[in-house]
Amino acid sequence: MKLTPILILGALCSSVLSLPGHSQDKELTLYTQRHYAFDEEVHAKFFEKTGIKINVVKAAADELIVRLQEEGENTPADLFMATDGGTLHRAHEAGILQPMTSKAALSKVQPPLREKGSHWVAMTKRARVIVHSKDRVDPSELSTYEALVDKKWRGRIVVRSSTNSYNQALLTTVIDADGRDKALKWATGVRKNMARPPQGSDRDQVRAVAAGLADVAIVNTYYLGILETAEEQKDRDAAAAVKVFFPNQDGRGTHINISGLGVVKASSKVGLANQFIDFLLSDEVQTLYSKNTFEYPVVDGVPLSKRQKVWGEFKADDVNFSVLGDLNAEAIKVFNEAGWE
Amino acid sequence: MAGVSPAKADSNFLDDTSGSKRKFRLRRPDRWGAFSFLIVAVLCLPIAAVLIQVGRESESWDNLVKTVLGGYLLNTLILVVGVGMVACLVAVPTAWLVTCFEFPGRRILSWALLLPLAFPTYVAAFVFYQGSESAIPFLIWVRNNWGIDTYLIFELIIRYSTLIIMMAAVLYPYIYLACRSSFAQQGRTVLEAARVLGDSPRQVFFRVGLPMARPGMVAGLALVTMEVINDYGAVHFFGVPTLTEGVFRTWFGMGDKVAALRLASIVMVSIGFLLAFEQLMRGRAQYVEIGDSPAPLARDRLSGVRGWLAVFLCLLPLAIGFFYPFGKLFRWAWLHLTSDAGFLFTSGEAIARGTGLAAITAIFMPLLAAVFAYAVRLRENRGRKLMERAAGLGYATPGAVIAVGVLVVFGTFDRWDVPWLPLLSGSLLAIGFAYIVRFFAIPLQFSRAGMDRVGRPVEEVSMLLGHGPLATFLRVDLPLLKGPLIAAGMLLFVDILKELPLTLILRPANFETLATTAFSLAKESRLQACAVPSLMIVLAGAIGLLVMNRLMVKPSLND
Repeated sequence: MKLTPILILGALCSSVLSLPGHSQDKELTLYTQRHYAFDEEVHAKFFEKTGIKINVVKAAADELIVRLQEEGENTPADLFMATDGGTLHRAHEAGILQPMTSKAALSKVQPPLREKGSHWVAMTKRARVIVHSKDRVDPSELSTYEALVDKKWRGRIVVRSSTNSYNQALLTTVIDADGRDKALKWATGVRKNMARPPQGSDRDQVRAVAAGLADVAIVNTYYLGILETAEEQKDRDAAAAVKVFFPNQDGRGTHINISGLGVVKASSKVGLANQFIDFLLSDEVQTLYSKNTFEYPVVDGVPLSKRQKVWGEFKADDVNFSVLGDLNAEAIKVFNEAGWE
Repeated sequence: MAGVSPAKADSNFLDDTSGSKRKFRLRRPDRWGAFSFLIVAVLCLPIAAVLIQVGRESESWDNLVKTVLGGYLLNTLILVVGVGMVACLVAVPTAWLVTCFEFPGRRILSWALLLPLAFPTYVAAFVFYQGSESAIPFLIWVRNNWGIDTYLIFELIIRYSTLIIMMAAVLYPYIYLACRSSFAQQGRTVLEAARVLGDSPRQVFFRVGLPMARPGMVAGLALVTMEVINDYGAVHFFGVPTLTEGVFRTWFGMGDKVAALRLASIVMVSIGFLLAFEQLMRGRAQYVEIGDSPAPLARDRLSGVRGWLAVFLCLLPLAIGFFYPFGKLFRWAWLHLTSDAGFLFTSGEAIARGTGLAAITAIFMPLLAAVFAYAVRLRENRGRKLMERAAGLGYATPGAVIAVGVLVVFGTFDRWDVPWLPLLSGSLLAIGFAYIVRFFAIPLQFSRAGMDRVGRPVEEVSMLLGHGPLATFLRVDLPLLKGPLIAAGMLLFVDILKELPLTLILRPANFETLATTAFSLAKESRLQACAVPSLMIVLAGAIGLLVMNRLMVKPSLND
């Protein structure tokens, strides 16, 4: 009788603690910011093909950078993956990445989608676009991000909080293109035109436009894909009520950001890591990503998915991603000053 | 040499015992003291390692003070006051009703009113935020008819009040639990006296019941406030940035550790004040009550309309804090599971690992806390009291601060390259340790209260019979503490399953708790899929609460 709890505890302990903290020979440890269930399918496919298992640690990117810095030489991590070019640049600046030797990365992806010294490489792209109501807004009323400060948009815009890194990245490109003073005016103006204080996720912004609370929203394209394929009818209806507009087509182009990865400096498994990067950049996986997570491929020649074709082709802002990293803290200050919560 | 007076003999005898006690304690005074000091030192190390950096130079602190700090403070204050008031308004009358009156369904309601506590605030927020979309048509009507400025005011009011009501609806059980025990515990004699002296039931409530509930109310209120201040998910969803959101944004977005830590210390200092205030108000009353109680109160029967009114009053918070969000989650989970249930199988192993660690920690931690509480109690002086406070410090510290503290401490150890020591960074030990730092206050409270119940006399008899302190602990205290320790373990298990910021930063590879799974899916905006792990957290929490209720509650309440 008395032994039962001890036995249970023992079994629990041994099953949980027996796990190696550090990866074995045919394993890679990946610190990633990506929360997509589909990534796990990709890892499974990779395992099937190569027998290399991917151990995953998921957390916010900047928390992972802090962790990699504190763990230093002793980190179990081999790869670092983030959903923001600026963050990748900051990881490189923090000195936690090593130049990569993956053939695919060096041959298939060119700067600015790969860091000049090859410390990181993009794996997918996403565009931050303006989404507008099909009924209440004519695309001819829209032109640039900058034009959203016009008085005619008063009470008609919804965007999420400035704590979100996608907004921070967008603002860094505005600072880079127009200067800090104009960027502050822009952030203040957009904040004034908002139909409600920033709240919720990109998905909630689209739903707010569909519900008629606002007429335009600034969101990432793939959220539309998520809504279009959601289980709930309401979500699919919301996606059907809006249309994508790619801003700044006559100027610097629509702001894009990347998901990307780098090899951790302390990793000794460069060979395995290269295999993984080659796999992610293969046409097969690139196609899968554009179909399943609705992100754009980074390898030339990989066709867009049907959904992406409907959204349309566009000219992308080719700002260097180091700008996103260098100006990020400044962008948050500008948001603070603009009162954009 | 006349005979010694009996009084003298008596006092001699007393002196003797206390003398022998003192002697006994002097025999090996330092082992227990050193032990408790060691525990406190280890628990405080990560917090100290981080807080030590507060004084360094900060690049963005001035910008923060000038721009957002005022807003953070104001929002935090609005929430604390609003949620506190609504929660008290709900908790005190319902606790009064279920202890002092008899009405249909009272027995079930008495424990069911605890259920909303099973909802982590971020899960409830996630449901309520979607629910608040139903106000959009009304808001649009306001905008079209009364103009944009009126509309913006309405939007603000609706959003803040939804957030406040939602938080109060899932947090009020802390106050309810405390008030219910104080009514049941001290209630009978006082209340009956008041009735005999001719007070009407209403007068009894305002003149006797309410003042009596004060210590419990304050104790519960302190916990509610702590939850509100430390909340990260709900306020983010509703776009009401508080100090805690500021900590995350400043640290991980701006990369300004120092400024973030200064914000965090504002959080910690205000919680510290709150706890001190709570101690002051509570005096000797206990929050956690274990064991048997005075004979049951003779309850007044509420019949007819008044009875049903009581039922309605008790059902209302339950409906908002439990049935509504539960129903929504259930529908979403159903939608997801009937279309594609894939995710549960892919991350099943990782979730099992996270739950396993939560279980181990929840079993181990109460035992450690019991030993510690015992060591502190062996000699109750200022130093030990202080140690007891310090050991609970983690409960007032934002999870992210503890997480980074553990990273710093373990990272330093690893760099020393102790040959026989395995790498600690990124190990299960690191995250388990962090949980202990964060939640040590919970089992400590329970052990402490339990030991006060056991009482010194029993221990002293054991020691007089020649058992050492260790034997006394193992043979007397530990068996008697079984109930409270199991209750603490249940509460810990649920708290760890719900924990988010610390787990996210520290977790080893392939390690998911239900909370992190829900978080990932919410991040991905997969609402329906997210409902599945959320629902599991709520169910685990509800079971934990029921077990705790059984173990803690006086028979008088259930009979």
